[in-house]
Amino acid sequence: MTKDDAVTVEASRSGQELGESAFSPLVDVYETEKEVVLVAEVPGARREDVSLRVDKGVLTVEAGTSYETPPEKYARTYLGFEPGQYFRAFALSDEIDREKIGASVSNGVLTVRLPKAAAARSRRIEIKTAD
Amino acid sequence: MAMFRWGVNFDPFVGLRHIQRELSRLHESWFGESRRIGGGPYPPVNVYESPEEVLIQCEVAGVDAGDLDVSITGETLTIKGAKRPLPDEEKLNFVRRERGSGEFTRTIVLPDAVEADRIEASLDSGIMTIRLPKAAAAKPKQIEIKPRGPEEVRP
Repeated sequence: MTKDDAVTVEASRSGQELGESAFSPLVDVYETEKEVVLVAEVPGARREDVSLRVDKGVLTVEAGTSYETPPEKYARTYLGFEPGQYFRAFALSDEIDREKIGASVSNGVLTVRLPKAAAARSRRIEIKTAD
Repeated sequence: MAMFRWGVNFDPFVGLRHIQRELSRLHESWFGESRRIGGGPYPPVNVYESPEEVLIQCEVAGVDAGDLDVSITGETLTIKGAKRPLPDEEKLNFVRRERGSGEFTRTIVLPDAVEADRIEASLDSGIMTIRLPKAAAAKPKQIEIKPRGPEEVRP
């Protein structure tokens, strides 16, 4: 769970530092009437490895990995991936209720739910007829 | 994926409603070499080897253990699996779609003979680890060097 901590410049600075070395996770983003849902692949990251921040309208997703790689005495016969940091940032629309952002991690997949503020939801306006 | 629909439902704020700009994209174009995940055979695997065992790790984020199938024939290991789409995927209004879904198969020729009966596989936070103990014949063996005794010296 996260909420807008009103963190200062730090969010963007750490982002730039990571930008060069971090992996950009693959994401799906979809929108419903009530919320925007962000699904990101962060294989190897557990709940405690993931940090979400909202700062100045930017949502940053950072995650590390905590799985163990074999010790040095193991020969690296073939390497197709490497453990590392994940980093990706998204601009949030003003319509997202920053206090109610929720997130969960399951099986290497991070799901962030970004509810729309009640005022921003489209609603049906009833037309009254004057009798 | 353009989400602007002009016409009857025209909404001037549609752009604002979406998570539209990703700063990470900018990073990629600046730093040239992209470290984006993806590309190459799926799932990505690492093969490690010690004198005692072959250890394989593969990245299968979002795949349930029940949807994974690991089998071995001789020295060929096969990883099969299915990554399920999001629930009601066809109805979702996607703004961005990068994760895939579907079935996959990957075969790995092992660097050594292993004991098929003792292979163990586990899945934790999207990383599958397979431990394959090497067959006795494949393990390195210390050869004892016998010193030649003086009594063996022949005339």
